[in-house]
Amino acid sequence: MGLASLFAAAPLAAAAHQLVVFASVDCEVVTVEAKFSNGRVAQTGEVRVLDGENALMTTLPLGSDGMARVPLTSVDHSSGLVIEVDTGGHDNYWIVTPEDIARKCGS
Amino acid sequence: MKKHVLFALLASSVAVTPALAHYGMIIPNDPMISQEDGRSLSLTMSFSHPFELDGMMLEKPVAFTVTHEGTTTELLGSLQDATVMEDQGFTLDYPLERPGTYIFAMEPTPYWEPAEDAFIVHYTKTYVTAYGDDEGWDTELGLKTEIVPLSKPFGLWEHNVFQGIVKMDGEPVPYAEVEVEFFNDGAGATVPDELMITQTVKADADGVFTYAAPSDGWWGFAALNTADYTLPQDGEDKAVELGAVIWVHFEEWTGQ
Repeated sequence: MGLASLFAAAPLAAAAHQLVVFASVDCEVVTVEAKFSNGRVAQTGEVRVLDGENALMTTLPLGSDGMARVPLTSVDHSSGLVIEVDTGGHDNYWIVTPEDIARKCGS
Repeated sequence: MKKHVLFALLASSVAVTPALAHYGMIIPNDPMISQEDGRSLSLTMSFSHPFELDGMMLEKPVAFTVTHEGTTTELLGSLQDATVMEDQGFTLDYPLERPGTYIFAMEPTPYWEPAEDAFIVHYTKTYVTAYGDDEGWDTELGLKTEIVPLSKPFGLWEHNVFQGIVKMDGEPVPYAEVEVEFFNDGAGATVPDELMITQTVKADADGVFTYAAPSDGWWGFAALNTADYTLPQDGEDKAVELGAVIWVHFEEWTGQ
């Protein structure tokens, strides 16, 4: 699945732009980071991991450091991942594409 | 008859000596990269008269860097030769690994301008934000001379004001003169008088200047000062014009 298809499947989060969500990936783990636009780390929240078809796979809590780690072996990432973070008052998402994972895996 | 000749001479004189301002340019394909835009950025570097789209030779710069999250990286070796506005320029594709503000800065090789009997060195920079994170938008790089933004140098609507502090050696330059020019790429802007190709504002006693852009697009701000050193040319010491240049993009207002 290409980047465009993944973005088409992603939830709309235009109203939650004050929360910045980013996820980096290597061959083993997806590292999720969430902070507010004023630079303050989001200290609580729920992280939802969805596949490229927008089906929920797992949820986990956001750490007090504004981070969460998702082992790649724990999810089906073949169609990419949609990482949603919801702090209660704000939410946003980051899309990990299959190309992002392939690039970091050196393939 | 004599009057006609005089007018013709004046017109000819004006035609060959327009008041063109020189600008170093760093223009990204987008000043605000979202995750939907991909994972990299394309930059085009040139030296030009941006309103007239008149390119000049941009030699290989002395330095070309990117600063992100307090770390500065030299990118000089990654520049690709390119023809920009029909003259020598450079391009660069740069991967954006993380969110935040990326500041691209160029120190050019001194440009000898015979018409001004001086060298021109324009320290040029452009701020780009990635993935919805604007942290670092007011970063001061510590260049020899630079405009430190007081307004976020991206995400401005047309007609907003842009404010910055002109600095030289880290200190504000009182009443610095700042030239402002539009990058007329695809816009077809015309002027009722050549005086309006380059507009000029002055900073206040604290080196702060303000300008409201009349349209969306890229606007270049160049604070010009004379260096406290000279460079040799044809056996003589020549003055050096130091420019602190920043390029700022204003967005088209979408309301009614």
